[in-house]
Amino acid sequence: MGVTRYLKIWVGGAILFALVICGLAAPYMASYDPQEQMLEHRLRPPSWGGGRSGAHWLGTDNLGRDILSRIIYGSRISLLVGATTVILAGFVGCFLGALAGYFGNLTDEIISKVTEIFLAFPFLLLAIALMAFLGQGLLNLILALMLSRWVQYCRVVRGEVLSLKERDFVVAARALGGRDLYVLLRHVLPNAFASVTVIATFAMAIVIIAEASLSFLGLGVPPSIPTWGSMLSEGRVYMYRAPWLTIFPGLAIFITVFGINLLGDGLRDMFDPKLRGQR
Amino acid sequence: MSRKSWAISRREFFKHGALGLGAVLSPSLARLSWAASKERITIYNSSVTDTLNPYNHSSSPIYGIWQHIYEPLVEVAYNPVGYKGVLARSWELKGNRWLFHLRQGVRFHDGNPFSAKDVVFTINRIRTDRNSLQRDNFKDVVGMQAPDDHTVVFVLKQPNAVFLDRVQNRFMVSRVAAEKYGDQVDQRAIGTGPYKFVSFQRGGDFVMTRNDNYWGAKPEIKEVIVRRVTEAAARVAALEAGQADVINNLPVHDLPRLERNSRLRLEKVEGLRMFFLALNPAYKPFDNKLVRQAVNYSVDANAIVKNIFEGSGFVLNGPLGPHVIGYDPGHKRYPYDPKKARELLAKAGYPGGVEVKLYFSAGRYPQDREVCQVVGAQMEKGGFKVELVNQEWAVFWGTSGVNGGKLPFYYIGRGSLVDADTLYDQYFRTGTTKRVSYSNPEFDKLIEEEQKSANPKKRVALLQQAGKILMEEVPFVPLYNLADLYGVASNVVWKARPDEKIWVWDMSIKS
Repeated sequence: MGVTRYLKIWVGGAILFALVICGLAAPYMASYDPQEQMLEHRLRPPSWGGGRSGAHWLGTDNLGRDILSRIIYGSRISLLVGATTVILAGFVGCFLGALAGYFGNLTDEIISKVTEIFLAFPFLLLAIALMAFLGQGLLNLILALMLSRWVQYCRVVRGEVLSLKERDFVVAARALGGRDLYVLLRHVLPNAFASVTVIATFAMAIVIIAEASLSFLGLGVPPSIPTWGSMLSEGRVYMYRAPWLTIFPGLAIFITVFGINLLGDGLRDMFDPKLRGQR
Repeated sequence: MSRKSWAISRREFFKHGALGLGAVLSPSLARLSWAASKERITIYNSSVTDTLNPYNHSSSPIYGIWQHIYEPLVEVAYNPVGYKGVLARSWELKGNRWLFHLRQGVRFHDGNPFSAKDVVFTINRIRTDRNSLQRDNFKDVVGMQAPDDHTVVFVLKQPNAVFLDRVQNRFMVSRVAAEKYGDQVDQRAIGTGPYKFVSFQRGGDFVMTRNDNYWGAKPEIKEVIVRRVTEAAARVAALEAGQADVINNLPVHDLPRLERNSRLRLEKVEGLRMFFLALNPAYKPFDNKLVRQAVNYSVDANAIVKNIFEGSGFVLNGPLGPHVIGYDPGHKRYPYDPKKARELLAKAGYPGGVEVKLYFSAGRYPQDREVCQVVGAQMEKGGFKVELVNQEWAVFWGTSGVNGGKLPFYYIGRGSLVDADTLYDQYFRTGTTKRVSYSNPEFDKLIEEEQKSANPKKRVALLQQAGKILMEEVPFVPLYNLADLYGVASNVVWKARPDEKIWVWDMSIKS
């Protein structure tokens, strides 16, 4: 019962776990330096697809770099950017959202207006504008994505806090003389945690896609760091001649996002009491 | 509304559906069968002018676009190589004076006649326009006279054998129009050429229409649209879809596929563009000759041509290709030897290697991003740590970049090179431009001598001597010439020139 019931969480979690292992153990798993160019071996097809060299499982790119090794190293950037952004945006968003919901009045007005300003811009457009302003770089990338992502947490947490603060146990805690910060941290926020986890998981998938999009546009990390997005971007010129340059990084993005979304879906099912009852 | 009135028989549905589909498809089908027409031709070029000021650049493909509207006194003809009069009928060299006899009966697009006063006005504008990137061509001119409407005299500091090269690509504007429209005159672009200006959007389309009152042979094609598309893949896709009739810089790796497409044909010509990496001695570490030589030892041009261009290029043995006046078969390029490069770096005081930035403008030249990535990786083996910096062309080429002397190390190609003097004077002679900031009195003296010399044999000997100095001092890394590849709709009759100029009046449509 347990396994089938949480199948989504198991599968999604397994994919994410495999990816984390990939990222952490990249130097041991990749058989080549991802930046090493072997011009003589350029545009070799995958070894199982009739390629002459058994050495390159997923083939080589336009400069003779091993695609598998680049995908393995690329997972580091995707995960690093995904996880850091989601955590940072989570902190900022939850903090401001809780303030707005709990204190209401002017605090709420100000924070809500700011979130509305951010929401007025489409997510990717905002990220592109911020990257153009900040310039290339890993830290800038994380910062830009975080700035365009915190709003969602803020809105959800504010809503949760608004309804939670009227509940009896919160009123009781306050009546017993609990200070605001104590009540907020001890009684209100823990109850909003389930929703935040679900948002965070979905946000991670979105951020990974955004990172790939920005790298594809040449606005992400510098070209010396392999990422899935920049692999797609460099490979698209060779789409007809050597489709494996784009297919495999594309698949990597697809599988990662699929896994994380599955996990998020599973978590939502688990936390949502209404859905729990139906199963 | 009753349900009944919506009912429609199946036969009727298919009949109307087919009609509708046919109506939608027929224009696009017609477009597929005849990609180009006499009414309009669309060119997708990786390089189109950034402004309407005809002097704010110095790039061969852009000269090619402007010559539809404005015309020069003379132009270069290939096969055999020589100068051909356009607005000048004939010319003569008398001591330190150059005389040009102008063509008569030529009128500007606004109906005013073209005369010697316009020539004097144009050259003065080229020399004084704040945004002009062509003024160094006339630095030796001390005086200009227009004795009558059809004769112009240039007085030079000393006899100059290469003056025609300075006069080609200088496009004549109207003095009368300039007086009438003031600083708005460029927006009207009034010239004498076979096409008239219609509209221009920066980074967008440059549109021209045929000048029916042209003094020369009337072009066959009526309207011309030149669009800047820096993405090679986008140009190819547009050509295959029939949106573009002519594209430049076709990527080599698409050739096998495109050759099978019967609606297209390929134009291939050995290009005159000389590609090199400029090393500016005004900046550390390139002030040290040993470092410059180390860069030469660590770049493997053969591997780049063989792999990135799939053999479709010609590695240079020295500063020039074999067809250029002043070529020296005796040169030997620095062999690829990263070990030697590291030794030289250590000798120059960089035993632990040195960090450098390589500037380029992606999309300007074929596969430039890949070339620079490969150069970067090759140089790492020679002890350098290379960071690649990609800039917009206008930033890269302007006074904030190459022409301001701001870039220590960059990838560049000198186009339409037929005489060594052009390259040597522009890039390596003291004070002509700021592009490389290399300065060597001995080299300068040779260039001065060579320019004065009317004897071609002696000139070549002097140019070869200058080339020897360059190969020893290496303020650059010579790389290669490439085959210029164009994709053309199969019904367009046109022969590509080796200088990257696409002239629509040279085209006709097969019907």
